[in-house]
Amino acid sequence: MTVLFICTNNRGKPNLMDMGSLMIKPIQRVMKYPLLLCELLNSTPASHPDHKALQDAFAAVKDINVNINELKRRKDLVLKYKKNDEEESLKEKFSRLNIHSISKKSKRVTSHLKILTGGEPQVKDQTFNKEEKLFRSLEKTVKFCVKNISFSHQHLQDSMLLAAQNITELQGILHNKDDEDNDYSKMLHNIGNPCEGFVDQLEKLVLTPLSALQALFSGPQKLIQKRYDKLLDYNGCLERSAGDELDLTKKDYEALNAQLVEELQVFNRTAMKIVMNCLHCFITLLRDTMSSAFQSYSTTVVPVPLSSSSICEVQNQVMEEFHNLNFVKEYSSATFIERKLSFEKKKPPESPRQTESQRSKLLSTYSTELLHQAKRKCNATQEFDIDLYEGELVAVVEQKDPFGSTSRWLVDTGILKGYVYSSFLKPYNPAKVQKDVAETSFCDDDFDNISLFTFYAVYAFQARSHQELSLQEYQRVRILQFSDLSGNKEWWLAEVKGQKGYVPANYLGKMTYA
Amino acid sequence: MSWIPFKIGQPKKQIVPKTVERDFEREYGKLQQLEDQTKKLQKDMKKSTDADVAMSKSAVKISSDLLSNPLCEQDPSFLAMVTALDTAMKRMDSFNQEKVNQIQKTVIEPLKKFSSVFPSLNMAVKRREQTLQDYKRLQSKVEKYEEKEKTGPILAKLHQAREELRPVKEDFEAKNKQLLEEMPKFYSSRIDYFEPSFESLIRAQVVYYTEMHKIFGDLTEQIDEPGLTDEQREKENEAKLSELRALSIVADD
Repeated sequence: MTVLFICTNNRGKPNLMDMGSLMIKPIQRVMKYPLLLCELLNSTPASHPDHKALQDAFAAVKDINVNINELKRRKDLVLKYKKNDEEESLKEKFSRLNIHSISKKSKRVTSHLKILTGGEPQVKDQTFNKEEKLFRSLEKTVKFCVKNISFSHQHLQDSMLLAAQNITELQGILHNKDDEDNDYSKMLHNIGNPCEGFVDQLEKLVLTPLSALQALFSGPQKLIQKRYDKLLDYNGCLERSAGDELDLTKKDYEALNAQLVEELQVFNRTAMKIVMNCLHCFITLLRDTMSSAFQSYSTTVVPVPLSSSSICEVQNQVMEEFHNLNFVKEYSSATFIERKLSFEKKKPPESPRQTESQRSKLLSTYSTELLHQAKRKCNATQEFDIDLYEGELVAVVEQKDPFGSTSRWLVDTGILKGYVYSSFLKPYNPAKVQKDVAETSFCDDDFDNISLFTFYAVYAFQARSHQELSLQEYQRVRILQFSDLSGNKEWWLAEVKGQKGYVPANYLGKMTYA
Repeated sequence: MSWIPFKIGQPKKQIVPKTVERDFEREYGKLQQLEDQTKKLQKDMKKSTDADVAMSKSAVKISSDLLSNPLCEQDPSFLAMVTALDTAMKRMDSFNQEKVNQIQKTVIEPLKKFSSVFPSLNMAVKRREQTLQDYKRLQSKVEKYEEKEKTGPILAKLHQAREELRPVKEDFEAKNKQLLEEMPKFYSSRIDYFEPSFESLIRAQVVYYTEMHKIFGDLTEQIDEPGLTDEQREKENEAKLSELRALSIVADD
């Protein structure tokens, strides 16, 4: 500062200016030129050779001024609207409402409707429209990209993690503490999560730029809206008024329009580049994720890989072995029936059934009139009662019980002696034995309540081989077995009128009677 | 067996030796654990296949949304890139579906079938338990009669009780022996059963990822221009973003 002081002091007092007056100098100069040229033009006679040149110069200089003005107007408008719309509370909005703004808005609405119905000549700018369309598509693109990419990467992570987890679990099942040689854990150090490092990369390279870009769309959006308002004003003024008002609206509109057109072009180009870059990064990232997963899976040693059909064979074989295990044989069909019954009965210790030899012993020991047959299965209820299966042969020893009641009889089954109710017994008729023998052979199966269910054919069925049994509609059948020889539960061994054969299970319906 | 309320029904002497009981518990315990493991794995495999399907659906969504965007009409290079991406995603989807099917066939269904053996096992163990209870009950009855005076009716009852006891005892012994033999067999045969599934699971993943690797490698080669590295792209993005922010029409952050 002192140097400046000294300088100015030494050289006398030249043109001393402060910053403000210094800055206004160019503007003053630019404005002086038209005035200067105008004076010059006025004092030049029309016949002078320079007159034309002067006129052109004058026009050019005036143009320059106008341009500068318009440029300034553009920037001012943009600045005004950019600042205005940020964070306005409802109260502030209301306070700005006055007659002027309301009338402005209503004029705009009518203009808008006119444009929609496409009546009068309108002001249009094709370039702007193109840019605007591009702008909107870009916005949509960026929005979609952000949403979809983040979703899909989330899913990718989840699925990879779960897959790795499952392999570890399956390996756990196979793990055999006693047998280290067969231990699969050696083969599988860490599938781990191939995705881990890539999440951060994705964030950095793709999602952050795109989200930032997304945020930038809102500014131009507002200005586009404003431009449209100005357009409406202009349109409205076109047919109605002339002169200053028209001029003003025209200038406003054109200023905003030009500014937007110029800058939107830059915006769109740049945004496009960013989007392309991000997409490239995304694809590269996907490729890298896949290749790292590929690496980690292919390093696990897999013994001879089998095709899927041979896998099925091997597994079916093992399943066969399982089915040969006794507990499966005994109980797998029992569970099948129990599902139908849906309650579990506690089985009392079974009394042995009557064999042929026992029956023949009874027949030989006792005379025919003493022999009776159980009409149905009797369950022992009181002390010294015995169980009887349907059709079992018993010999009546005494027709009364220790208490003197004649409804309970003491009978001999050949193995045990006990009491049964006489109403369960009917006299034994050897002639009917043949038929009953066939019926009682069902007891071989281990189904307690099989007598509760009888089946009938819902549809008629035609036997195609001698192993199958023909059925008529609604014919009652007795089921001997609930599966065929190979364990197929779709075919049941049934018996009708002494004939046996296989019938399809889905042709049969259940008939229950108490 | 301390949960039985009536001590009267307990036989005096131990009818099942402790070692046998212990072995039984151990084997059955292993099998119960196996059952839990298979159930859990079944659930998790289902979750995993659902996640796989969801993933490929959302991947296809990315590219199909982009494809339906009007931007594609306006910019041909964008269109080219998006079409290539779309093809790749669709191929990924089909491979994924194939992988899921393969896993379904070779892992999930076998798991289900394996689990279906367990109810029979549990039933068999329950029956054995019931038989054991009856055995104990009858045994204590016999002992009760044995302690009483040897009068006529008592002797008859004792004889009858002994007759009842014999078949039950044989039944229990048979069941016990059978289960003790078969449970270890079942347990060790799971290895043969699941080995193929395990291999197939890994193999399915390997095949899938090989294909994916190839698909996306091809894709990057197809669309990648001067092959900028990630850092270069990042820098470029930053530069472009600041360029945008410098525009007057963009709001100040």
